[in-house]
Amino acid sequence: MTQSPTLSRRSTTSASPQPRKSRRRGADARAGYTFLLPWLLGFIALTVGPMISSLYLSFTNYNLFEAPKWIGLDNYTTLFQDERFLQSVGVTVNYVIFGTPLKLAAALAVAMLLNSKRRGQGFYRSAFYAPSLIGASVSIAIVWKAMFGDNGPVDQGLSIFGINLGGWVGNPAMTMPMFILLTVWQFGAPMVIFLAGLKQIPNELYEAASMDGAGPVRKFFNITWPMLSPVIFFNLLMETIHAFQIFASAYIISNGEGGPAGSTLFYTLYLYLRGFSDFRMGYASAMAWLLVIVVGIITLIFFRTSKSWVHYSGDSR
Amino acid sequence: MINRRHFLTTVAVGTASAAALAACGTGSNNAGKTGSAENPVTINYTWWGNDDRAERTRKAIALFESKNPDIKVNGNFTDFAGYWQKRATEAAGGGLPDVMQWDLSYLRDYGQRNQLLDLATVNINTDAFEKSLLPSGQIKGKTYGIPTSTNAFAVYYDPAKLASLGIAEPTGKWTYDEYNAFLTEVGTKSNGALFGGTDYTGVWWMFNIWLRQNNIEAFTEDGKLGFTRDDLKKWWNLTAELRGTPAIASEERVTQLAPKSAFGSNVTATEVTWDNFMAGYLADSGAKELKLVPVPSDDPDNLGLFLKPSMLMVASAKTQYKDAAARFIDFMVNDPEVGQIFKTSRGVPASKTQRDGTTFEGTDKLVVDYEKSIEQYLKDAPEPPIVGFGTLEASFKRISSDLNYGKLDINGATDAWFKEAEDLIKQNA
Repeated sequence: MTQSPTLSRRSTTSASPQPRKSRRRGADARAGYTFLLPWLLGFIALTVGPMISSLYLSFTNYNLFEAPKWIGLDNYTTLFQDERFLQSVGVTVNYVIFGTPLKLAAALAVAMLLNSKRRGQGFYRSAFYAPSLIGASVSIAIVWKAMFGDNGPVDQGLSIFGINLGGWVGNPAMTMPMFILLTVWQFGAPMVIFLAGLKQIPNELYEAASMDGAGPVRKFFNITWPMLSPVIFFNLLMETIHAFQIFASAYIISNGEGGPAGSTLFYTLYLYLRGFSDFRMGYASAMAWLLVIVVGIITLIFFRTSKSWVHYSGDSR
Repeated sequence: MINRRHFLTTVAVGTASAAALAACGTGSNNAGKTGSAENPVTINYTWWGNDDRAERTRKAIALFESKNPDIKVNGNFTDFAGYWQKRATEAAGGGLPDVMQWDLSYLRDYGQRNQLLDLATVNINTDAFEKSLLPSGQIKGKTYGIPTSTNAFAVYYDPAKLASLGIAEPTGKWTYDEYNAFLTEVGTKSNGALFGGTDYTGVWWMFNIWLRQNNIEAFTEDGKLGFTRDDLKKWWNLTAELRGTPAIASEERVTQLAPKSAFGSNVTATEVTWDNFMAGYLADSGAKELKLVPVPSDDPDNLGLFLKPSMLMVASAKTQYKDAAARFIDFMVNDPEVGQIFKTSRGVPASKTQRDGTTFEGTDKLVVDYEKSIEQYLKDAPEPPIVGFGTLEASFKRISSDLNYGKLDINGATDAWFKEAEDLIKQNA
């Protein structure tokens, strides 16, 4: 409204085109929203709607069959007295803290190897990317379970070196390393992004550094790392969020039970069991919302701290 | 892959379509939609079980379709654990299959919440059933399930494995100490190559039987627990000396074999479970012969045994094809040819028509003979257990597994289970 005087004044000075332009802009917006409509409808009906209803359900006792009963914050307060819940938090945090950095380190290392110009690079790139394409599938989880079982290839392979761990699948101490290996093995997606980022780093920087006598380590920390930091930040954020949501492989490897001895009771798996095995949808919804909030806070912390180590080109620093 | 968004979406879409279906459901007549030979109706049927049962069920469905050209049956199966998660998802969406194989553990959860059809309102012949068996499918005067067959608890053993170790076959007249000694003997004589059995104290129904041997009912009539923490501690103490020895299979092995059983994988010499697992065990293990004897008891006159409906046939309350569903259920429980197909793999047929029309030979005869041999010890079948019983049964298994991993001691395990049970009973009150 405050703008209308200036607008009208301008229209008097520069004659006609201004109002026509704004009318066209309105029409553009309408067309834009029309084209967005299928996505918007999907977003509202399939994402926003369910999220709001699950927010409501998280304050109720809802068993799927009977109308939800309002119980206020009870679900949220009982969560923290639930030992299985606390266990699932522990398992998931462990997985995120160890799995994500290792996966990113593997992705970056392989990306740097693949960045040099050699013959057959295309093949290697595809070969290293392939596991992440099939990694989330049911079949890989089944293969993984067989590989790490009693007398599986891993058990037998380690026995050659005199390491007798037995099957990893049934051993509560070994299931977490097994899951971390599974996620590290799927480094393909962040690797491709790292590779794209590495290609953007001007070669002159390295040449100049070489002239000044910088070795590879120095070049990595003083050129590669800062130049790549926006990409590292992006990958770290995505992989962390992704790691919190691990479900399919845990469900399959533990037969949907989170065993042995609760060592694979990931957050989402416990959420699913609470909802669909125990019919406690309200409780499950509360868990889902807590996860949303926690992941949101972690994202926020990442963004806040990023200023000190992420450098965008064109930054004054 | 299921992520959080998918999950929430499923819940929401499910709720919406439940409302829509409920709206459509009103006003249909009692028989529901019917078909004709030219234009048959299709009903969905789902069951749990292994490949062996799938094969038999497919044969039964083919037979049904040839006898009832106006109905097509679309069959689908999974293993037991995944089965109930699927049903919960479907129930939330109002899309339960028309006809389902059902377990007593979950009858109240779905029956009391109006998800199952009252089968007394449709035409299913139950004249050939023992009158004492039918109440186990009934809740508050409504018939939600028809038993297909009966089963009873037993100790399985593989005679060939015992012979190779030079151990005499058991007679089935044994105390818990004697059974424990037997398990230890197998483990010791085989040098750990073969375990005696799995930890039987992890099996809810065996605990239930032990309680009955001590004249305790697991649940009171008002749906509370009928036993104390001390009872449960005593129970878990029975195998305290055996855990971690070759007498019982290590939890590491059992976990890795799942969903296959240790006994079916030839890892143990005995197993305590339902007698209708015979066909499945034979198929899984490839053993030539398996035998059955009664469970141990410290009171030789009270074995605590009972015949339970090994499974029930139920229909969805929302089925559009009540008549077709009823005819399929009637066929599955009464038809003698169905008995010939399944033999004792579902248990001993509950309907006399079906039982008399089936010839039992070999191992099937062993199962029938076993149930006859324990007739004098049998007590009434238990009522459908409390709402949420399936969850309790699963947590019983899980917590005893934690006990075997040494993650919990007996006091801790007892506290953990009671906490979950009390919480659940309060939740569903």
